[in-house]
Amino acid sequence: MQERLSFYIHRDSPYHRLNPLTKLVLAMTLILISFSLPYLFLPGLIYLLILIPLSYWGKVGKEFITISIRLLLPLFGFLFVMQSLFYPGGETVIFSFWIFSVKLEGVVFALHTATRILVMVSSFLLLLLTTHPSTLMNDLARRGVPPALSYIITSTLQILPVMRAKANTILDAQRSRGLDTRGNLIARSRSLLPLVGPLIFGSLVDVEERAIAIEARGFNLPGRKTSLVEIQDSRAQAWFRWFLLGLILLALGIRIWL
Amino acid sequence: MALIELRDLTYAYPITEIPALRNVNLDLEEGQFLAVIGSNGAGKSTLCYTLAGFVPHFFKGKLEGQVRVGGIDTQHAHLNDFVQKVGLVFQNPFNQISGSKFTVYEEIAFGLENRGVPRGEMKARIDRVMEMTGIQDLGERSPYALSGGQQQRVALASILVLQPSILVLDEPTSQLDPIGTREVFQVIKNMSQQGMTIIMAEHKTEWVAEFADRIVALADGEILMLGSPTDVLASPLLPERGVGVSRYTTAARQASSEDLWPSGRPLPVRLDEAIEGFREILP
Repeated sequence: MQERLSFYIHRDSPYHRLNPLTKLVLAMTLILISFSLPYLFLPGLIYLLILIPLSYWGKVGKEFITISIRLLLPLFGFLFVMQSLFYPGGETVIFSFWIFSVKLEGVVFALHTATRILVMVSSFLLLLLTTHPSTLMNDLARRGVPPALSYIITSTLQILPVMRAKANTILDAQRSRGLDTRGNLIARSRSLLPLVGPLIFGSLVDVEERAIAIEARGFNLPGRKTSLVEIQDSRAQAWFRWFLLGLILLALGIRIWL
Repeated sequence: MALIELRDLTYAYPITEIPALRNVNLDLEEGQFLAVIGSNGAGKSTLCYTLAGFVPHFFKGKLEGQVRVGGIDTQHAHLNDFVQKVGLVFQNPFNQISGSKFTVYEEIAFGLENRGVPRGEMKARIDRVMEMTGIQDLGERSPYALSGGQQQRVALASILVLQPSILVLDEPTSQLDPIGTREVFQVIKNMSQQGMTIIMAEHKTEWVAEFADRIVALADGEILMLGSPTDVLASPLLPERGVGVSRYTTAARQASSEDLWPSGRPLPVRLDEAIEGFREILP
């Protein structure tokens, strides 16, 4: 079984050592700027001139580029086909064949949307590649995010591979009793039912037991919690976060003004 | 005054009228080891959950009678009062992993973080408990990537690190192989020798006979027998009511029916007692 569902790559880099909140605010800033400002090439430039250099600074450049392209390529293909052919109101036809015509407005819109999505996904990808989920959650919990919320996020990251392994076990058990999981779409979807039932009911039992286990370890005790992990932060980073917040406000301001 | 006192305890889970426990009366002194035996559905887990405060505070349902654990009266207390005093470890090692931590070391720290223990003290306590449970080498591993026995020792360590005065174990070895079982029992034995009050529901009577001071046998939610391991485990009442007994007792009982057990000698519950008895009769 895969141990966890996490993109984190443990490397010693200055970017890894930045406070998780700084990286989170940076990601949010880049996303908000690329979505709020109307400039066509801005998101692409953010990816090329900010995100890629940052990923190399964090010593995860190769993985960053490979994963971001692999994650988004199918979506981009779909987006370009749909928007260039079916963009409503486009007039400038680049070329046409049979009943279809590719319009410039559609291509531009697809490019803008695709690069914005690229910035959104890859900003978070860079955060996840260089920040251990528990460090991020510990830092957020320390700053007042409810422990229950950070628990839900980190446990979801952990539980997905567990659920997948469990689903496979149930599927093997059902197969060994003669369930046919191959064949056409209808046959396959019919075989889903004997899988889903045990998986959901089994998981409900697990949830109750896990609730008891974390209660027994004082999850709901009142009072201040502490953290095993010491998370680095600095005054310079705090100033930098305020600066980023200023940039976000500026971008939103320009958006409203334009 | 006894550390644990149950008086006329009757409890039924919600959505049922049939009580899971009926008229249970029990006293346990500090430092004693009480084993709870009985067939499936006899009420062992419910008794464990009652002693840890989860019945009725987590499961709700209807509780009558009096439950006092370490001076806490369950009728007038909150689950958190129990959590501070009683440690609970149960069957499925997998479900006892918090799910929010990525290494064994962090997993053990989970309860300490919830209690607001300072970082320096936290590390000292985790190191000590990892040594006690023999998992020093697992600190950096993912809790999900361990064997069942290792996971159960992590679960045990995660509770022991909170330094409870009472430890409740609900069939902690039922899903483990013989090696995992031995590892877990070794830790429990050490804790008992250090004077911790332990209540353990368990089917493996050969192990229970080794360290329990007292044994309570449950059947259909009622106390069938309560006494020393020899008194309870060698009683003919147990097999009659479908409660599993030690294989040494079964062997000796069979031998006794064929006059192959010394007359007047009580039936054995432990291996050494069985060997002694057979040595006496065999040439």
